[in-house]
Amino acid sequence: MFSFRKKDTQTDKDVRSDRKKQNKQAGGNGLDLFDFSGDVAISVRDVDLYYGNFQALKKISMDIPKHQITAMIGPSGCGKSTLLKTLNRMNDLVEGCRVEGEIRIGDKNIYARDMDLSALRKNVGMVFQKPNPFPMSVYDNICYAPRTFGIHAKAALDEIVERSLRQAAMWDELKDRLNKSALGLSGGQQQRLCIARALAVQPEIILMDEPTSALDPISTGKIEELCLSLRDSVTIVIVTHNMQQAARIADKTAFFLLGEMVEYGDTEQIFSAPKDKRCEDYITGRFG
Amino acid sequence: MIKINKTKLQDAGAKYVFIVCACMSIIAVFGIIGYILYASIPAFRDIGVFNFLFGTLWNHGLEDSDKWDITQIYGILPMFVNSIIVTVMSVAIGGTIAVFTACFMVFWCPDKFHLRYAGKNKMIAKIVSWINQINLRAFFDQIIKLLAGIPSVIYGYFGLSVIVPILSSLNNGNTGLGILACSLVLAVMILPTVASLSKNALESVPQHYMEGALALGNTKAQAAFNVVLPAARSGVISALILGIGRAVGETMAVNMVSGGRALFPEGLFSYIRTLTTNIVMEMSEAGVGSTLESALFATGFVLLVLVLIINLSINLVPKEFKGKRGNKVLKGDAGAKIVFRKKGIVPEVLKYVAVACGAFIAFTLLYLIAFVLVSGIPHITWNFLFGESTLMSPTLLPSFISTGYTILIALAIALPFGVGAAIYLSEYSKPGSKVVSVIRTFIDTLAGIPSIIFGLFGYLLFATLLGGRCTLAGAFTMVLVILPTIIRSTEESLRAVPMSLREASYGLGAGKFRTIFKIVLPNAFAGIATATVLSIGRIVGESAALVYSAGMLRTTVPNALNPMNMAPTLTVFLYMCWAEPVAANPVTGAAEIGLNQAYATAVVLLVITFLLNLIVFFIEKSVKKKR
Ligand SMILES: Nc1ncnc2c1ncn2[C@@H]1O[C@H](COP(=O)(O)OP(=O)(O)OP(=O)(O)O)[C@@H](O)[C@H]1O
Ligand SMILES: [Mg+2]
Repeated sequence: MFSFRKKDTQTDKDVRSDRKKQNKQAGGNGLDLFDFSGDVAISVRDVDLYYGNFQALKKISMDIPKHQITAMIGPSGCGKSTLLKTLNRMNDLVEGCRVEGEIRIGDKNIYARDMDLSALRKNVGMVFQKPNPFPMSVYDNICYAPRTFGIHAKAALDEIVERSLRQAAMWDELKDRLNKSALGLSGGQQQRLCIARALAVQPEIILMDEPTSALDPISTGKIEELCLSLRDSVTIVIVTHNMQQAARIADKTAFFLLGEMVEYGDTEQIFSAPKDKRCEDYITGRFG
Repeated sequence: MIKINKTKLQDAGAKYVFIVCACMSIIAVFGIIGYILYASIPAFRDIGVFNFLFGTLWNHGLEDSDKWDITQIYGILPMFVNSIIVTVMSVAIGGTIAVFTACFMVFWCPDKFHLRYAGKNKMIAKIVSWINQINLRAFFDQIIKLLAGIPSVIYGYFGLSVIVPILSSLNNGNTGLGILACSLVLAVMILPTVASLSKNALESVPQHYMEGALALGNTKAQAAFNVVLPAARSGVISALILGIGRAVGETMAVNMVSGGRALFPEGLFSYIRTLTTNIVMEMSEAGVGSTLESALFATGFVLLVLVLIINLSINLVPKEFKGKRGNKVLKGDAGAKIVFRKKGIVPEVLKYVAVACGAFIAFTLLYLIAFVLVSGIPHITWNFLFGESTLMSPTLLPSFISTGYTILIALAIALPFGVGAAIYLSEYSKPGSKVVSVIRTFIDTLAGIPSIIFGLFGYLLFATLLGGRCTLAGAFTMVLVILPTIIRSTEESLRAVPMSLREASYGLGAGKFRTIFKIVLPNAFAGIATATVLSIGRIVGESAALVYSAGMLRTTVPNALNPMNMAPTLTVFLYMCWAEPVAANPVTGAAEIGLNQAYATAVVLLVITFLLNLIVFFIEKSVKKKR
């Protein structure tokens, strides 16, 4: 006669209920359900997003190519962060957030009911605007995600730490302070550590939301270099307010305005010959 | 010209008044330590410190025997050991449940029930929709606050009437009193302290830790237990330490279920006596100036030192993670097999443990309330509440009077001092100043001193000064008990007054004194009101601090009207129903009369506690609305 209905948006329950099924499908660990063999890493189709009654994204469609850097630019409040968060479903945490349309990553609809959030976020890492290393040692920060994905052998963890730090070009800086608190690092180091932490589980895609806006120019430069060096192995989607930054590192750039994607194309073209007047105004600084 | 000088004078004078207020806590702490040590000296001298601390026999009845020497019969080691065991067990049980409950409240408590009812019965449908409207988070907050506000003597009765019978059935029908019963009762009693402080600690962990962990593919349970809880570690540990201090110092409830034998425990059902209950059990037999009396004060001194050490050790908890020792050298294996797998069933299980703990706390409180109401309401009569009180059929009227006196007198003294101290701390101190941190340490220390110690101090100082135990001495004692609450709550609200208001006042040429009294204090009114209500709650619920300062004596209304006489407050009356049940009614049996009166009194106390909580709730709500 009574029944419990949970309107929880965070779907831990879904995750677990479908875990077994996926384990079978993916031949074992349930994490490799994505197929990244194609050229397109992320394909966004007709996505509308609402925060309650407010529509924050309007009919967004874009293909994000594999192993390239794609930048999202646009004035404050235009929905860049919102779109970025839909790509690994971090917006599930936002009360009253609703997504319509389809987003395919590695040829899987990530908004399908049986999507495994853990598997999704393992493959689509995220770096936040404010560096957020955990209050643990450098070593434990990097091992954090591998540990939750079942790796406890010391040799394997050591291997992962070294690989991730080398990939993030921090090995020489940090190899002697692996046991020190990550909170003791400088802001720029913390942010690169967060990138290394995301790299530890070998994601295919890393989403970055204004990763350098809290940093000084030198740290910013290092992170840009890092992005460029990672391009061979990961697909990077980066939100930035710094147009030079987009021009320097991005292969593709998308310009957003008031929840719409106004223009999307090769970075060179966007910056040298924008097709849309609004985009041109923004890039040339004639825009609020 | 003259006017300016007057302002200046006022400002300078006010500052010193406030400093004096702020120093009250320091004086109180030193006064308490000093007095109790002074009263213990005869015992330490006659018995010997070593014999006293490490002696294993406590039996003052042997004092007259030729075979025993005074140095052999006052050993507190069994009591010390019992205190430690009971504390460890209660914190292990209650602390764990409390931390999990805090996790539940922060991470998984839904906003509302989502019950659905498919049947046609209108009544049930209405009830279901009513249940669905409850704001669960606020509900749990209130549950914790209520649990914290319930007088400890009521927990004692709850232990006697609910926990002990259950334990007794587990113990093959033998008695359920003893060490396990004490631990369980204490576990329930420290729950609210540990749970609410742990909750604060968890809530102050920045949201971005949670987000970071989720973005790495964690489930919420994994993020909660692997990142957020460890990040809140120092706060949670501090909460547990405060719980330990609370458990060591708790007296009345433990006394009621302990069995009272001054021996080392042999099993979970051994009768025990702890440091605190040792004092309560024998104080009434101790003659003024006797070795026994001094030995009991010395027991109090040992207790006091123990609690001070425990509470000061909070300062040793590192505030943030500083890294591990040594340098990590990696011995990685380039060929190591790295296969990521789905793991982590443990956090998911812990999540259900957390939910279960939350449900358990809610159930415990509701059960306790229901139990008291059901047992007590039938015995509430107009005559019992307000009738003429005689020694053989005492009523609550004298207790209402003495509780009222105690509240009025204690507040009349503590409020000005407490508010003055808060003003000094928030308006005159420079941030990070040494003086302030010293004063604050003393305020915290005072707050952590067990009630029974206040009781001993009140007996030594106020009862002696006033020529014997009396309501007034009890009220003076309560001043010290409520002072820390008032200072803290007031200071918090003073700090919440925006700086711009003060600047505006200075800008108009007002002096500091005028600014404080015309601008800052009125804006902090809600905080002072909260402090007052909390203090009233503390006074109403207090027993251990009052039995030796205000005394335990059933009395008549005319006697109670004079605060220089002894008259039990409501809670002390409740305690007396157990400690000294009205004797000699051969038909109904003495103890039963005591128990019935007890539950009727407990109902009154619960209603008062509930109303006080309600008032605080509405004050806080109105403050939130304003901001
Ligand atoms: N949790 C939320 N609830 C309601 N509205 C939101 C929420 N988060 C964002 N919005 C709204 O959605 C719109 C897009 O926000 P978003 O954060 O994506 O902008 P942005 O482009 O990242 O801006 P910025 O450059 O300032 O970071 C804004 O109008 C914002 O007010
Ligand atoms: Mg943004």
